[in-house]
Amino acid sequence: MKALSVILPIAAITMACGTERGTGSSSPTGGTVIASIPGDAADIFPAFVGEQNGAAVRDLVFDRLAAIGPGLNTVGDKGFTPELAKSWTWASDSLSIAFSLDPKARWHDGKPVTAADVKYSFATFTDPKAHSPVAPLLVNIDSVAVRDSSTAVFYFKKRTPEQFYDVAFQLFVVPEHIYGKVPLESLRTSELIKTPIGSGRFRFVRWESDVRIELVADTANYRGRPKLDRVILTPYTESAAAATQVLAGQSDFVQAYPIDRIAELDSSKQARGQTVPTQQYTFLGMNPFVPRSTRREPHPVFADIRVRRALSMAVDRTAMLHNVFGDLGRIAHGPFPMGLTTSDSTLRLPPFDTVAAAALLDSAGWRRGANGMRSKNGRPLRFSMLTLSTSVPRMKYAVLLQEAFRRLGVRADIERMDGKAFQARVVPEGNHAGDFDAMLNAFQPDPSVSGAKQNWATEGIGPDGQNWLFYSNKTVDAALDSSIASFDPAKAKAYASRAFQQVIDDVPAIWLYDVIYVAGVNRRLEIPPLRSEGWHVNLADWSIPPAKRIDRDRIGLAPPAKR
Amino acid sequence: MGQRALAARLWQSLIVVAVVTTISFFIIRSAPGDPFAYDNPRITPAIRAQLRAEHGYDKPLPQQFALYIWALAHGDLGYSVSKQGPVSRSIAETLPRTLALTGLSLVLSLLLGVIIGTLQAARRDGWFDRLSSGFLLFFYSLPDFWGALMALLVFAQWWQLFPAGGMVEEAVHDYLAPWPAFLDRLRHLVLPVASFTLLTLAGIARYQRAAMLEVLPSDFVRTARAKGVPERSILWRHALRTGLTPIITLLGILFPALLGGVLFIEKVFQWPGMGLLAANAIIALDYDLVTATVIVGSLMVIVGNLLADFLHAVLDPRVRV
Repeated sequence: MKALSVILPIAAITMACGTERGTGSSSPTGGTVIASIPGDAADIFPAFVGEQNGAAVRDLVFDRLAAIGPGLNTVGDKGFTPELAKSWTWASDSLSIAFSLDPKARWHDGKPVTAADVKYSFATFTDPKAHSPVAPLLVNIDSVAVRDSSTAVFYFKKRTPEQFYDVAFQLFVVPEHIYGKVPLESLRTSELIKTPIGSGRFRFVRWESDVRIELVADTANYRGRPKLDRVILTPYTESAAAATQVLAGQSDFVQAYPIDRIAELDSSKQARGQTVPTQQYTFLGMNPFVPRSTRREPHPVFADIRVRRALSMAVDRTAMLHNVFGDLGRIAHGPFPMGLTTSDSTLRLPPFDTVAAAALLDSAGWRRGANGMRSKNGRPLRFSMLTLSTSVPRMKYAVLLQEAFRRLGVRADIERMDGKAFQARVVPEGNHAGDFDAMLNAFQPDPSVSGAKQNWATEGIGPDGQNWLFYSNKTVDAALDSSIASFDPAKAKAYASRAFQQVIDDVPAIWLYDVIYVAGVNRRLEIPPLRSEGWHVNLADWSIPPAKRIDRDRIGLAPPAKR
Repeated sequence: MGQRALAARLWQSLIVVAVVTTISFFIIRSAPGDPFAYDNPRITPAIRAQLRAEHGYDKPLPQQFALYIWALAHGDLGYSVSKQGPVSRSIAETLPRTLALTGLSLVLSLLLGVIIGTLQAARRDGWFDRLSSGFLLFFYSLPDFWGALMALLVFAQWWQLFPAGGMVEEAVHDYLAPWPAFLDRLRHLVLPVASFTLLTLAGIARYQRAAMLEVLPSDFVRTARAKGVPERSILWRHALRTGLTPIITLLGILFPALLGGVLFIEKVFQWPGMGLLAANAIIALDYDLVTATVIVGSLMVIVGNLLADFLHAVLDPRVRV
């Protein structure tokens, strides 16, 4: 920033004088945040968003009917706060909910948000012609009716504890007068969805592929003006370069500062670290079937629960956590991230006990040979661990696990794969078992127990689920179903705990850590605790005190003269 | 270069492009997964299958290849799944940025390499020759990626003399007056161009030194010296013209090396050019985009070589047949 400060005083004279009222140097509002994001957004239109970068833009530009609370409760409407819906009324049979829209809500082009927009949004998200990935999550909604211009009524097929969550969390409202002109089958490739018009607290300005996505404050927003003037999201592909940009003050925020460079933030005058909770947990999953086997023949190593349990007991999870994350790590407690309402840190995990682990392997017939490695009937105890090469923590864990297993007389080979190649190996094709022995993977389930069901219930096995380990236990299925069907949050949690304990006891995986990022944040930013649903969720409440503002914070809201 | 020779070279080039296209088409498709392979738990296999069908990726590979070649013959480079638009648009956006980066680096490395190599030859075994050789050898032996990261660390992070990436200062560039805006662009070019230049400088200087060492004992140089032509004029006007010929040949070889390096340099410096586009396309398994970047890359190499041949002919009348 030193060199830029030489240029900018000259530039300040020629700036477009875009200082709108309220963004001056002493105003509580104002400032520009440049946030580095890991790669460009794939989609930014709500019906098609499927990854975190697109989700950030979607959440800032568009609104839901109601927002989930910090407690991430998904049962009933407890904790939900109004967004586009000012209030809602449940029908006496709970089979419909009438949402009254905020009369002050406006699209960014000035037109009012109406119940017809809500109906159109539901149609867009659910029509098979649009291929929206959100459609399967809205299957319990039968229809939407427009009672009057500001009241939309959702009718449900059946009463469920999460029916409100289904509507409020999964559905975003988009303007019919803008997108209704485009046939649904061509919406995905339409240029219109690349310059979205929403009702959120930030307006979309521009998207230059691989360069930036720019948003500005919607100053007349019905939910209040954001404290910042402008947000620029700049994609990066090299995390070391993104970290350097934060340290140099060129970027203000990077969500996942490289784990091996976090100490730099302590000594930096420009940036500091701030933890970012996530809803991800990481585990070493063990394939109970021969990789790619059509008939799912039992895996020669992992089909035996004694081997899985022994391997789990050979892992000092606490020491590994400290080794990789220092004081910043958070241990995993089972098949769930700790941020959810159903999380339970009191469940019993296999203890770290290498003597007992060795005894278990001996009893399973895997005995040490002269070279110290174990074998059974001439077959060495050996498998491969598939891991994502782009994840530094997972790569470090792979090495630590390999060493822990070696001490037990087990040979584990590490297979490193990149993004889509990794997924292509992990996700089973049709009814084939996945193409791996063991995989170091992370799941990020929805806040609802339904997310856990997708990963660990028998129903999640198959092309539409994500139970890639083919884990199946009827007790777990029943307990998860009971949890989902329970209207009492305490009971829902108790059922979920029962299910999770059973999963832990069956040892389909070794639970390693909850993913916590350390964000690199410019010291001039004042930001509330970051939320696990996404670093950007309360971006409208981030601020830059007037005394700490730099040149780019004083640009104001007006577009440049030459744009 | 005669018309016949030119026509022959163009035919050769066409064959090279065809082979490169075929190889890249099949290689990228042999990687595990496809553009719609799982990357979002919400996209069901049914939707993925529909998307595959929409883009023709469900057809047999030979049929896909035939369709691709047919479209290519009609000037259609295909559709980018990751950029959600025509491939030609992505290429048109990024190619000028890459050309600016590589072009500037090439000019700088040629200029500096020729000057340094010529001076080294003129002062053979002197302190300048030894010092500059050691210095250039050091940079030549650095891996591209590491060298760029070190430049980033020292000049952007520690000393904060230059920006740590990007093409411009994103927040303020559009608000700057023309001159500061130009300076802003220039500042963002310094580190990537310098890293690129150092990649090739040593090789050029070494070639130039060797060429000049061959030229300097020549009869025409001795004659010029006997006629009383000043030493500076002998070196820079007479000997250099002849000594440049091997460098022009090197230019043709250098181009592919530069294109290889562009991938790393653009990634490290977040320079949104064709190298970064290709790297991201490979990760996303964006078939059409990967194939198109390979085609454009091979075309650039071919054009570079043709240019080298042309310059060679200009400098050396013996090859004008």
